Amino acid sequence: MTIRHHPSDDMLQAYAAGTLDEGQRIAVATHMRTCARCSGWVSALEQVGACMLERLPPTAMSMDALDRVLGRLSALPPPPAGAIFDDVPGLPAFVRRYRFGQWTWVGPGVHLRPIELPVDSPTRVFLLKAVPGTRMLQHSHTDLELTCVLSGAFRHQGGYFGPGDFDLGDEDVEHQPLVEPGEDCICLVAMQGKLRLSGLLGRLMQPFVRL
Amino acid sequence: MSAMAVEPPSATDAESLSRLIAAVARQDRDAFAALFGYFAPRVKTFLIRSGVNESGADELAQETLLVVWRKAAQFDPVTTGATAWIFTIARNLRIDALRRERRAGTLDASFDLEAFADERPPPDNAIDAAQSQERLSAALAQLNEDQARVIELSFFEDKAHGEIARLLQIPLGTVKSRVRLAMSRLRSLLDEAR
Ligand SMILES: [Zn+2]
Repeated sequence: MTIRHHPSDDMLQAYAAGTLDEGQRIAVATHMRTCARCSGWVSALEQVGACMLERLPPTAMSMDALDRVLGRLSALPPPPAGAIFDDVPGLPAFVRRYRFGQWTWVGPGVHLRPIELPVDSPTRVFLLKAVPGTRMLQHSHTDLELTCVLSGAFRHQGGYFGPGDFDLGDEDVEHQPLVEPGEDCICLVAMQGKLRLSGLLGRLMQPFVRL
Repeated sequence: MSAMAVEPPSATDAESLSRLIAAVARQDRDAFAALFGYFAPRVKTFLIRSGVNESGADELAQETLLVVWRKAAQFDPVTTGATAWIFTIARNLRIDALRRERRAGTLDASFDLEAFADERPPPDNAIDAAQSQERLSAALAQLNEDQARVIELSFFEDKAHGEIARLLQIPLGTVKSRVRLAMSRLRSLLDEAR
């Protein structure tokens, strides 16, 4: 599979540094599952983090720190969490342990399935599924929207987006994706702010699209 | 200072660090104490500079080494450097701790490393951790002092960007663009080395 669209360097660096919010972290991790280029760069950045760690001056640990840890070595780690989601392939394992809502109709040929994050995040994460030929509504975003294609493909003014491709929308981007023929297009979407639908149809639809 | 029975390894000796982790995987407590002696105080500094308070940093550094004990068998020295592996554990614990702090929680042993376990495809060309570490060190050595500095500092939480600005005596607004520039230089140096 040829991946053509990647997260920005800023975003990969924030991933390596651990400063992305949970919703965005999920989108980047989903992309990295299949992208050797980005995961290679993130690994390199983590090695930079390692160099940084080795160069830091040590701070004395508390007197009994080692003894306290030694005393805990035999304790068992917490058992792994419950159900694993496997309805949709292509998600990182840690995401598949989150709670998934139900598929909900949001427009002709389009369904949405929310993913419940275990922590507070300014970003909402959901799966979006659209049948081939669907012309998504012309829209822009009040904030950042990250999309990673899991299966199928779509196309918009920014190019062709197939499995693994990462799309970034913000307030400056106005696009109207068209789902490519063949199979349903399923994407993982991490969205901040509100979706802004434009055009008459968009204004009519807005009340129904609770995004 | 804690009493160290085993002499901590020297900073540059990646191979002996990996050997220690392998020994820890076999439940060797002396090896664990040596790893603790080397890493815990550095992880503590990392956390303090990330904005965690002193006692929280102490606990989290302990927690980091506890995770090392539990996960040592999963460490693969061929694909990952010892320090890079421990860095990612400390980083993930920091993410976890900062979240809990926001929710006014307290530290406990509920940290779940699996919640951070991303999967990564094998790298483009088959090179091992030692080679890529070497390549990276060479690339880092080609950066100028300021560039190397901002890259290192960018590993701390966002709020530390003010600290970077103060340390380097540049305006806060310049920090992000400085980081971006240094990153793209590092990236092209690494691409050239392929
Ligand atoms: Zn990529």
